[in-house]
Amino acid sequence: MAPFNPYTFIQCPCSDSSPLGRPADSNSPTGSEPEEDERTFDPRAPRSNYSLYPLEYLLYCEDCHQIRCPRCVSEEIVTYYCPNCLFEVPSSNLKSEGNRCTRSCFQCPICIGPLNVTTQETKPPDPSLLTAGNAPHSGAYALTCSYCNWSSTEIGIDFDKPNGIHAQLAKIRNGGEPRLTAKERKERRKELSHRGDSAAVVAAREEIDGQALDLENQFANLKAFYSSQLADPSAGDNGLSTLGDLGFSSPSSLSRIMSLYTGGKLNDNKAKSRLGAMREALTSDEGLLVTDLDESALISQLHLSDHCDTASTEQITNQPPNLGEPLLHGASRFTSSLRPIPYLLRTKRSKRCPVCRHIISKPESKVGTTRFRIRLVAGSYIPSITIKPLVLPNPSGGSSSSNVGDLLTPLTPVHYLLTFKNPIFETIKVTLATPAATPGRFASKVTILCPQFDIDANTDVWDEALKDNDRGDKSSRSSGSHTRQRRGTEAGLQLEVGKIWERGRNWVSIVVEVVPASLRLEDGGMLREDEDVLEIAMFVRIEWEAENGGDDAGISSAAVGKDRDQKEKRELAYWCVLGIGKIKQT
Amino acid sequence: MSSKRHSILPPISQPGPKPPVQFSSTITIADSAILTGTNPITIATESVIHPRAKIESSGGRITIGRRCVVHERVTLGAIGNSSSSQRPNNVTGGGETAVTLADYVTVEVGASIEAGDTYIGEGTTVGVGSKVGAGAVVGKHCTLTPHTHIRAGSSVPDFTVVYSNGMRRTDKRGVAELKNKGVARQIDVLRRMIPSNPSKFM
Repeated sequence: MAPFNPYTFIQCPCSDSSPLGRPADSNSPTGSEPEEDERTFDPRAPRSNYSLYPLEYLLYCEDCHQIRCPRCVSEEIVTYYCPNCLFEVPSSNLKSEGNRCTRSCFQCPICIGPLNVTTQETKPPDPSLLTAGNAPHSGAYALTCSYCNWSSTEIGIDFDKPNGIHAQLAKIRNGGEPRLTAKERKERRKELSHRGDSAAVVAAREEIDGQALDLENQFANLKAFYSSQLADPSAGDNGLSTLGDLGFSSPSSLSRIMSLYTGGKLNDNKAKSRLGAMREALTSDEGLLVTDLDESALISQLHLSDHCDTASTEQITNQPPNLGEPLLHGASRFTSSLRPIPYLLRTKRSKRCPVCRHIISKPESKVGTTRFRIRLVAGSYIPSITIKPLVLPNPSGGSSSSNVGDLLTPLTPVHYLLTFKNPIFETIKVTLATPAATPGRFASKVTILCPQFDIDANTDVWDEALKDNDRGDKSSRSSGSHTRQRRGTEAGLQLEVGKIWERGRNWVSIVVEVVPASLRLEDGGMLREDEDVLEIAMFVRIEWEAENGGDDAGISSAAVGKDRDQKEKRELAYWCVLGIGKIKQT
Repeated sequence: MSSKRHSILPPISQPGPKPPVQFSSTITIADSAILTGTNPITIATESVIHPRAKIESSGGRITIGRRCVVHERVTLGAIGNSSSSQRPNNVTGGGETAVTLADYVTVEVGASIEAGDTYIGEGTTVGVGSKVGAGAVVGKHCTLTPHTHIRAGSSVPDFTVVYSNGMRRTDKRGVAELKNKGVARQIDVLRRMIPSNPSKFM
């Protein structure tokens, strides 16, 4: 079993349903509100799973004086970049070219390792050609994976140039045959139509049409066809077009008649009526794609291959949308038809407070740097809490050996040291509160021996060190407010209610006594998941006096003018959950 | 300040008996390689044994072919628990073959090849931290990607790429010759980098 590490999770106030979820309704029972306030936080409630975060995950809004969690900040994208080549991609390119790197960054379709462009060392056909200079012949480059030795030559793809692989790849089908884009097809066809109707030309045209209609071409054809249908009102191909505008089937007259009845108010009605009068695509030229239901070739291939030859779901979902895919229904099922994956772009995001819209985290926009311009992490505003088991030497002599990660014995009191470390430059006053028994089926008893204490300001480390030295020189470390007090050692290692255990420059340790519950069920039922973990919900309230900065000038501008240097009282309160340990099952 | 970099690892002790060796004159074997066991160890021409590679011949004879590279912390001829159950006679009995590396085999850092007539074919690369079970037969020009586990007694056909998740693929590049050339070039460099001391093991 993995050893248990004590943890501290802090509840973000955003998950409190009271200010957000409640409608401002006068007839809601007002009697319930104080109850809501007095309700203690239950770390085992299913909802609290989503609101508890380690301190490191939390941010802090300096203007609202409130903790912000990843769930309650609004994010904005600063830059898009390729994780492989670290090139920034302008957001305008994103719309036209998609969210993948369009340079030469690819991942292996089999193992997602990075692919390198390598030269293919092919044997020169004639040794004399070597002296004629190393002119790059076609297909001189390939993408290879250095992890699993996959190479793009396996799917019949090689490249003429070592750069701009993305553009080159878009023009090559698996197997190496070039792919015509819709535009090229149209141009080809136009060229052929000029040359008359000889048998050779017809054959060539058929060849173009017959060349598997891929997704992009089909879409282009369909789009062209339908837009021509929409533009040409008399395109209805049903013999009534001789009647011209009077033809009831002509979209324009139909819409005119419909508008007489409907008052011309329904736009989509109109569109519908027009669509109804249009015919569907009839040839592949117009975007018709006849589904090939004959899959016997695929099935026989499947018979010949083994499990590893078929692509896994993961591999297929990793595949980029391939516009050159031969058929709509012929999506690849074999690893032999997987194509290199262009790297997905990544983003750098800035975070804003959802209430006051102030930025609370903003990374440097340059891709290469990992620095942040603004980053208000909660760890520099609210005290951190660390948990350590307290080993008290027994009066009888032998000290109970307890380690972090040991199982807790039921019904035997254990003591834990909670160390609060103050990160801010003011002295803070901490008030702790916890329910006397933990919620849930097994109620362990919890007592905080010192629920109220002050923590000194986080002053300069060197100041403190020098001060300490001075004092050490002069007298033998008098127990002033700044020097370390070892309450425990002074008081002969006795726990005193209401006293701090130990105090340092900007930290204070207090003792919590826990009596773990017995995990025995009367009806002999099974323990539910994690019910043996002893978690304490603790309400922390911090008060401190801050410089009355100009940040709330809008609220009390007059007052600020008068007493700018007057201190302002601030407070912050939140629930946190202390994971102490696991209780031994008896 | 000494310019020499010192390893933080403790000095290598030479446990067990010194095995009879049969070295070609052109091999490169680092001073701190570990050769133990009772059965003969044969290393053919131009092979390179990195420092701290461990070759155990207690399970049987170990043969390393031409131009093989055995990297650091590799264990050749490890006596695994899988071997004891499968083929006990091979491990305990003397004079048997424990591990055979054909020519141009590269065994990368931390890989382990168990004893028990295990065979690695020509041009195969055994990836970082891989484990080849006792009696496994790996074909020619295979690639075992890092942290692959080949079960004891199984066989891998020629030109196979084995992934660490157990998937396999056939390598169709046909660059075996080029790869061998690459290994030869790498060995050229390694010979200059690794001070060889075969006499220590004689």
